[in-house]
Amino acid sequence: MGVMRLGYVHARVTDLTAARSHYGDTLGMRLVHEETGRLYYKAWDEYDHHSVVLEEGGAGLVKLGYKVERPDDLAGFESRAEAFGCITERMSKGDNLAVGDGVRIVLPSDHVLELYADIEVTGTETGSLNPDPFPRHLVGVGVPRIDHALITSEDPALVERFFTECLDFNVAERVVTEPDGGDVIGSWLFCTNTPHDIAVINGPNGKLHHFAYYLTDWSDILHAGDLFAMDDVAVDTGPTRHGITRGTTIYFFDPTGNRNEVFSGGYITYPDFPTITWTVDQLAKGIFYVSRELNDRFTSVLT
Amino acid sequence: MAGVTVTVEATGVTVPLRAGETILAGLYRAGFAYRIGCRRGGCGVCRAEVTAGEVAHHGGVAAAALPTASAGACLTCRAVPQTDVVIKLPDDARFRCVAPLLAGLAGTSSTTSSQQRQGEH
Repeated sequence: MGVMRLGYVHARVTDLTAARSHYGDTLGMRLVHEETGRLYYKAWDEYDHHSVVLEEGGAGLVKLGYKVERPDDLAGFESRAEAFGCITERMSKGDNLAVGDGVRIVLPSDHVLELYADIEVTGTETGSLNPDPFPRHLVGVGVPRIDHALITSEDPALVERFFTECLDFNVAERVVTEPDGGDVIGSWLFCTNTPHDIAVINGPNGKLHHFAYYLTDWSDILHAGDLFAMDDVAVDTGPTRHGITRGTTIYFFDPTGNRNEVFSGGYITYPDFPTITWTVDQLAKGIFYVSRELNDRFTSVLT
Repeated sequence: MAGVTVTVEATGVTVPLRAGETILAGLYRAGFAYRIGCRRGGCGVCRAEVTAGEVAHHGGVAAAALPTASAGACLTCRAVPQTDVVIKLPDDARFRCVAPLLAGLAGTSSTTSSQQRQGEH
């Protein structure tokens, strides 16, 4: 049993037409469904029905969906979340388009997390029989899949405890005020074999810092940056490397101001991965390894 | 709409804007910089007070970034002046000239000679 991965990001956008241009034409996600006030997208290497839902009105996160391995896992996670003190509720098949029964949990940081085991499987664009390595006619960046999200919390240590104690995530990296003990400023947690499937840093509850797409390598990151210039995407930072996760990156903003990331690299994790510690005096190096300078947007620009 | 200007209060800087240009775009085109965020109307970091004149917001603006209670405020990334305007940036906005060459080319005028000093802190 267990949580397998980040399955969907449901975000708010101020303008669906502008969002369509960004997520469809620039990032190259495929629109799989639209209804009044909502767009559903998936990336080419994802096989579930959708991975990004965009809802008209406002900015920021509506909720994150994480897919669990088996329907039987849900009750266990539900009772552990309740024991932790979280508000939970059951969600029914159809509450989310193409998604089955699940459990909705309000995190200690006020973010809404949905766990589900069943979602309509529609396949990747290359299929699973003698597939080509990529689709021939990708649009824009041609992102293959979503990767992780970073949220903010007044108490990152508490959110870290929730994910480790209730959902069996492991901590890959942690930023602390003191090498031994001290306050947790940020935590990067995984349930897959990547450095992070969710991360949390100190900040206001309920806010989105960014959600990320995985790209194959550093040259794909630069290529994405070129496309951002061509399409006048507001770029936040990069291309550069993170000290934390070791990944290469560009942070950029969607037309609503929600921060996105293209992310590549990083290392492999296993459940016995020894947690890496960063002291907060090295935070700038941890976030932007090459420049070792935090810009004034990293901790303050949230939606 | 052509011919309008933006003046940044307390700096003495006035920049002529192009038709349909946002305050942020015009000031950056003229070689100035200040604290900005997403530049897409979502985060509210580039908010300024409009102390004279009228602006219209073009493009998406998230309610949380520009609460209706903040009458007289604008998001400079989305605000297109409809008349000559005067804006007041927050004290922590660190308005400064980063490219004097561009400031000259953009026809910037300054009522004070302290413009450069304002940029250095």
